[in-house]
Amino acid sequence: MTTRLFYDLAGLALFAVVIVLGVPALMGFDAFELNTFARYLALAIVALALALSWGGAGLLNLGQAATFGMGSYAMAMHLKLKASGDALPDFMGWNNVSELPLIWVPFHSLAFTLIAGLLVPAFIGGLIAIFMFRARIAGVFVAIITLAFLVAFQLVVIEQQGITGGQNGLTGLAPLELPGWSVDTYSLSFYYLAAGCLMLAITLGLYITHSKFGLILRAIREDADRTRFFGYNVANYQTAIFCISAALAGWAGMLYTLVLEFASPTYMSVSFSLAIVIWCAVGGRDSVLAAAVGAILVNLLEGKLSDIYVEGWNLMLGVTFVLVVMFMPRGLHGLLGDLTNLFRRGAGKRRGNRSAPTQTAKTGQEL
Amino acid sequence: MDVILNQLFAGLSMASILLMIALGLAIIYGAMGVINLAHGEFVMLGAYATWALQTFAGINIILALPIVFVAVALVGWIIEKVIVQRLYHRPLDTILATWGIGIILQQVVRLSVGAESRFVKGPDLLSGNTQFGGLIMSNYRLFVIAFSIAVLAATWVLMTRTEFGMRLRAVIQNRGISECYGIEANKVFSLTFAYGAGLAGIAGALITPLFSTIPTMGTGLVVDAFLVVIVGGLGSLLGAASAAVLIGEATALFSMLLNDTLGRIAVLAGIIVLIRFRPRGLFPAKTRH
Amino acid sequence: MSHLQVTDLRVDFGGLRAVDGLTFGVKKGEILCLLGPNGAGKSTTLDLICGKTQPTGGSVRFEDVEISRMFEFERARRGVGRKFQVPSVYKELTVAENLAVAQSRKPGIWHALTRLSHSGRDRFEPILEKVGLEKRADVVAGNLSHGETQWLEIAMLIAQDSRLILMDEPTAGMTIQETARTAEIFRTLSKSHTLIVVEHDMSFVRTVADRIIVMNRGALLAEGSITEIEANEDVKTAYLGH
Repeated sequence: MTTRLFYDLAGLALFAVVIVLGVPALMGFDAFELNTFARYLALAIVALALALSWGGAGLLNLGQAATFGMGSYAMAMHLKLKASGDALPDFMGWNNVSELPLIWVPFHSLAFTLIAGLLVPAFIGGLIAIFMFRARIAGVFVAIITLAFLVAFQLVVIEQQGITGGQNGLTGLAPLELPGWSVDTYSLSFYYLAAGCLMLAITLGLYITHSKFGLILRAIREDADRTRFFGYNVANYQTAIFCISAALAGWAGMLYTLVLEFASPTYMSVSFSLAIVIWCAVGGRDSVLAAAVGAILVNLLEGKLSDIYVEGWNLMLGVTFVLVVMFMPRGLHGLLGDLTNLFRRGAGKRRGNRSAPTQTAKTGQEL
Repeated sequence: MDVILNQLFAGLSMASILLMIALGLAIIYGAMGVINLAHGEFVMLGAYATWALQTFAGINIILALPIVFVAVALVGWIIEKVIVQRLYHRPLDTILATWGIGIILQQVVRLSVGAESRFVKGPDLLSGNTQFGGLIMSNYRLFVIAFSIAVLAATWVLMTRTEFGMRLRAVIQNRGISECYGIEANKVFSLTFAYGAGLAGIAGALITPLFSTIPTMGTGLVVDAFLVVIVGGLGSLLGAASAAVLIGEATALFSMLLNDTLGRIAVLAGIIVLIRFRPRGLFPAKTRH
Repeated sequence: MSHLQVTDLRVDFGGLRAVDGLTFGVKKGEILCLLGPNGAGKSTTLDLICGKTQPTGGSVRFEDVEISRMFEFERARRGVGRKFQVPSVYKELTVAENLAVAQSRKPGIWHALTRLSHSGRDRFEPILEKVGLEKRADVVAGNLSHGETQWLEIAMLIAQDSRLILMDEPTAGMTIQETARTAEIFRTLSKSHTLIVVEHDMSFVRTVADRIIVMNRGALLAEGSITEIEANEDVKTAYLGH
């Protein structure tokens, strides 16, 4: 086991204890507070999805909100159909749609919805990825193409009112019915559902980071051309991580719709996409765990502070973000690493000072 | 026929605005490789400065232009000195930092001036329309078109015919060697960034009578303007101009054939495809490679 | 039967013909040295063989398969390896991770997804010992000295285990001792690999070369053993520039 893997697993264990035991206890098992926190957990998943492609492979996807939105709408369509019973969803009537659009029909099935919520984003993300990476598009151009896609995609969703509910999104949703469990989103068990999803996603992310696949992606991030000369099909690797990242974002989107009980085109806005980037940058783009923690921390702060400073919050967020990018490019995770190194070096120096001069050589070797 | 002519004029008017915004962006991107996502906020600052000058000092747009240019250029200069200069070797991070700067500027304006939209009156001199048969052209829009062409020409002269332009081109081609010959690259970059920001400010001033002035007005504009730069090709002024006309007219055309939203979607899709196949733009600056 | 056969290879760079009708073959297990004055097209020839540059015309056959229209990663998979002139190791990865990337017999995604990043580490130990980096396996490559970086790159070539290895000035910046050790490693490599080496250091060429090709202005000028080349009048003229 490498030291990196050891630290990541230790971090995951600590994180799990905090999320599973610490948070509910601190909240006093208050249903409302737990629901709010479950929202942060859902957002943590989409942040770690971005960390996989951005930190792990150097591909800054500014369109992450689009795939998040796809998952969110998939879940909302299922719940809307459930809420409407045999009737047509109400907003379709307002838009003179008289028959259930074909694309809605399979969302009666929960199994289809769950699969679609993962695979549709993965498929769309994959298409964009193939389109870009076959042409060896890299760096800032990836950011710009994904951003342009996001803007276009949100416009399409708003435009197609009869199918998507347009600007209003999908509201008036029924609760999710799992086999033997009608999900109450204001409950401890729902909180644990969200926490379980996040744990699973982080574990998956950590596995990818520590697999040879993750290693090759880091190699590609540093020098894509060199990696091609070792026989790796770089475009395929980049496409694969885009698909995985998109599927995770879709998963987060499904969970988010459950928490908020509606889906809105604002989930696919440029500013939401930027928010994801900020969480990821604050936590540390190099680590999926750090990105998840970043999302939770920033949202927690936003929840506490935006009540007090309604207008000032965005200003603080902007200033923090600029400072993080400038002075802490590897986020809190990087800061932690630097501090540990500093502490170790400091400790080593102290040890060296205390030991007799004859032993310095040996201490030096220990370092 | 008249419908088409009027639509073409609308496209040209939009192109002139896009060009004004894109020109500053193109200079900054071409010179430093910085994708300045705060550029839209520079436009917004220009618009608010114009509004403030008109509301509190009674200065009309035309007279406000030089003041706005200097003011926004100064803001750009400070931002370059304090933030952007530290990030030249991290291109992806400049996107993020300038995005953050954009948020900050937006919030500062929202907190100090308010979120409600502000209106600026066009100059009386340029009110009214010029008519050719069925083609009706607003005088103010004609002025904006002429003005943007003049700014393009001035910028071209600045970049190719002056000492400053020569230094800038030297730094772009080889920073190390230029510094050996005594050119202060940092200073050249700061001034270039300030000039680009100043142009954005002027663009903001010019659009005040056409758009409502709100803190978020820059966000939508910067995406379009950036696409103009990418389509036009890295570091090419004439490329940016042609791309502005192309995108302005394409948007106007698609909007007429489909509707505004679909028109915008179609243009975005077209641009994505264009970047994919011509990542260096339609009119890349000529280099040896 | 040639292991690699280059026939009438040509490439244009905007009117400049960098390689012009080049034809040569390399036998299996041979070390072929490419010589020539600056701008003769040596590095470009390597680029054309490994796929960094696409040829304008001509053919490159490796193990009897035409590879000149393939992507570079497809050629690498067939067994063509390349060392560049500028040391190109992954500076952000550790020495062991660099080797894990280089060890690319199975470059597919599924294989990579089902292995941990440090799997197969025991296989690197002997390679690291060979180049004297066995104690540096967990050091980030960016922290290596210039000499160590060179050795790491050679270790990566051994780990990649390509049947044909293309090297661009492998001894540039090396001390005499390091060059001698490199020559020794090359001789052991040539038992199971074919090597094409671009090199300026004539003493190094004398030690390792089985055969030499001299290029000038993108074309073949002379071909033969070291003694034949050193006696060749055309070669002298090309180098002296008359």
